[in-house]
Amino acid sequence: MNFTPIVLTETENALRLEVRKFLDEHGSFLTNSCAIDSWFVPSPEFSRLLGKRGWIGMTWPRQYGGGERSYLERYVVIEELLAAGAPVGAHWFADRQTGPLLLRFGTEEQKSFFLPKMVQGDCYFAIGMSEPNSGSDLASIRTEAKRVDGGWEVTGQKIWTSFALTARYLVLLCRSAPLSNDRKHRHEGMSQFIVDLESEGVTRRPICNLAGEDHFCEVFFDNVFVPENRLLGKEDEGWHQVMAELAFERSGPERFLSNFQLLAEAVDLLRTSSSCESGKQLIGQLIARLMVLRQMSLSVASQLQAGALPVNEASIVKDLGTSFEQDLAECLRMVVAVEPGYDAEERISHLFSSSILKAPSFSLRGGTREILRGILAKGLGLR
Amino acid sequence: MNEIKTLIENSISSLFENYRDSDAVATMESGGFPEKYWRDIYDGGWTRMALPEEDGGAGMGLPGAYLLMRLSGYHAVPLPLVEALLGTYLLGIAGVPIPEGMLTVTIADSGVHPPGGGEEPLAIKRVPWARHAAQIVVLFPGEHAARLALVDRAECVIRHHVNVAGEPRDDVVLQPGAVGKIYELPGITTERVSAWLALGRAAQIAGASFRALERTVGYANERTQFGQLIGKYQAVQQQIAEQAECAHAARCSVDAALLQIDSSQEWESIAAAKIVAGEAAGKVCRIAHAVHAAIGFTQEHSLQLSTRRLWAWRDEYGNEALWAKTLGDLCLGLESGGLWPWLTRQTSN
Repeated sequence: MNFTPIVLTETENALRLEVRKFLDEHGSFLTNSCAIDSWFVPSPEFSRLLGKRGWIGMTWPRQYGGGERSYLERYVVIEELLAAGAPVGAHWFADRQTGPLLLRFGTEEQKSFFLPKMVQGDCYFAIGMSEPNSGSDLASIRTEAKRVDGGWEVTGQKIWTSFALTARYLVLLCRSAPLSNDRKHRHEGMSQFIVDLESEGVTRRPICNLAGEDHFCEVFFDNVFVPENRLLGKEDEGWHQVMAELAFERSGPERFLSNFQLLAEAVDLLRTSSSCESGKQLIGQLIARLMVLRQMSLSVASQLQAGALPVNEASIVKDLGTSFEQDLAECLRMVVAVEPGYDAEERISHLFSSSILKAPSFSLRGGTREILRGILAKGLGLR
Repeated sequence: MNEIKTLIENSISSLFENYRDSDAVATMESGGFPEKYWRDIYDGGWTRMALPEEDGGAGMGLPGAYLLMRLSGYHAVPLPLVEALLGTYLLGIAGVPIPEGMLTVTIADSGVHPPGGGEEPLAIKRVPWARHAAQIVVLFPGEHAARLALVDRAECVIRHHVNVAGEPRDDVVLQPGAVGKIYELPGITTERVSAWLALGRAAQIAGASFRALERTVGYANERTQFGQLIGKYQAVQQQIAEQAECAHAARCSVDAALLQIDSSQEWESIAAAKIVAGEAAGKVCRIAHAVHAAIGFTQEHSLQLSTRRLWAWRDEYGNEALWAKTLGDLCLGLESGGLWPWLTRQTSN
């Protein structure tokens, strides 16, 4: 495992000012309600604007509409958007993982069909993995695809599927062969499919979370037909394909910038408050952690650029990052005393309220803390 | 450059490993000086690491020196390599011929002017290894740059003290006339040297953290209770994973700071490293001792070679609170909305 740090080049950093200028021009999109967890706030209009600027699918081949830019150039753009609290939710999964997944495992037809639309910022994807009885134990999923004439028929249910109502397509992980009783083979027999969520037999229902967001959904599949050409990758290889996504999914700056706006606002307020002196040490500690997290995440991005799949390093970034995010509100409330409220006039109260209510999800989504640490333990040779 | 780095790493690690089962640490802890160990390191040219090639160095500058410091932390080397390496480097910059014997470094308080013949004695507390050093590199604050004097230990009165790792941290009183020639250190303030020293401790912490992690994983994969290896229990695995995260964060923070030496982000990168490494040290120790249980708590078991150093080093050259207050003060001094631009600013390379 390694986190060899890098220094961004002038070319990479130049994008930073472009994004800031863009955000200045489109400041109306940066509201209180999307400041925290802005990568879970969908805004098709904003996504399309980003698409027009070439900031979706930045690293993808030009033949599919991509920019063939480096992972680090992409990194600069997304960290600027996230730090500003920009609503990038609609295209987020497509850009972060579904596009790379298609590039790695997709057919030519799939790549030509989906990637150019994703790049434009108006083709959105959701990810169907968890089920009511299969969360951390993803290999125990029961949704199944049966072979029929011309394709497959899918029956089952997914839950916690963010953006299933906003998105048109779903990358579905399901059984394509019966679940093996042999523990050694439980990762076999799963496949990934691209499901058109407007297909007959698909029912989607939003689930409201305690923070008042409803990006979560239940998705029911009642003999949903999926054509042959929408099998993604190899039949029965779904598990291994999903594992390949993890380094992308877990290592990015979204894992520690979800509530950066709270930190920025608190620093601005502390400057002129009577708690200024007592807050200095805490601010310094938090910023030190943030600086190092960023270095670790940048290192992983540069390793991804080099073609590696640093899954253990990604787990570390995600665990340290989400712990940092969860600590932010818990620590800052001690130096910026506010009664948090969604409908408060003061921005800081709103930011605290959002951060505190959304905090549990930071370390649950994309692999719980306990699962990540188990993976790390394995990587350390303990299992 | 990477091949050279690997060669250097393998070479010095070899040297350090040769002394693993020696009585060098015991010698230090009983107040003695591990003479042969020092000789081997000096004669191998290792203390000159940061000097340019034409001065007998490796031409790798400070990053090369910090590689050695990290490895010395890993191997619990009972010698002041941080001070010897930085002292040698500073003498090189000042144009002072590098002396034969062991060096240490210290910074005199601000507001104190270097005494010349007939002045008051100058007291400096907790100078690493002063009792065994041949000479002490003493830095004084100057208006735009620090000033340096090379003081003979014989001109000092020394009171012996140690840190919790048993390393010498002696109080020194420079007698009148001890400070002779004063040299300028262009472009280097005492604040900057302070930061370099702190980064040295952070590098040692990074090294010792990985050693503690290795010992912990090794123990968990050896010790059985209730019919299986304790490393099979989730409670143990979760903690060791956390320990690994801390070690990696400490290491990355130091390596990232090394990339910023001479840049406009040098100071805050070092501050972040000292804070993160300091926080890591405590957690690494807590988890190491939790997993090793009683046997790891003994004097005889080698775990304490790592953990006592981690506890000592995090409080030297400024603890997390000191560095965090200064970093926090800097951030609170930025203009409104200035935090993110400041975090992401970069001098062109």
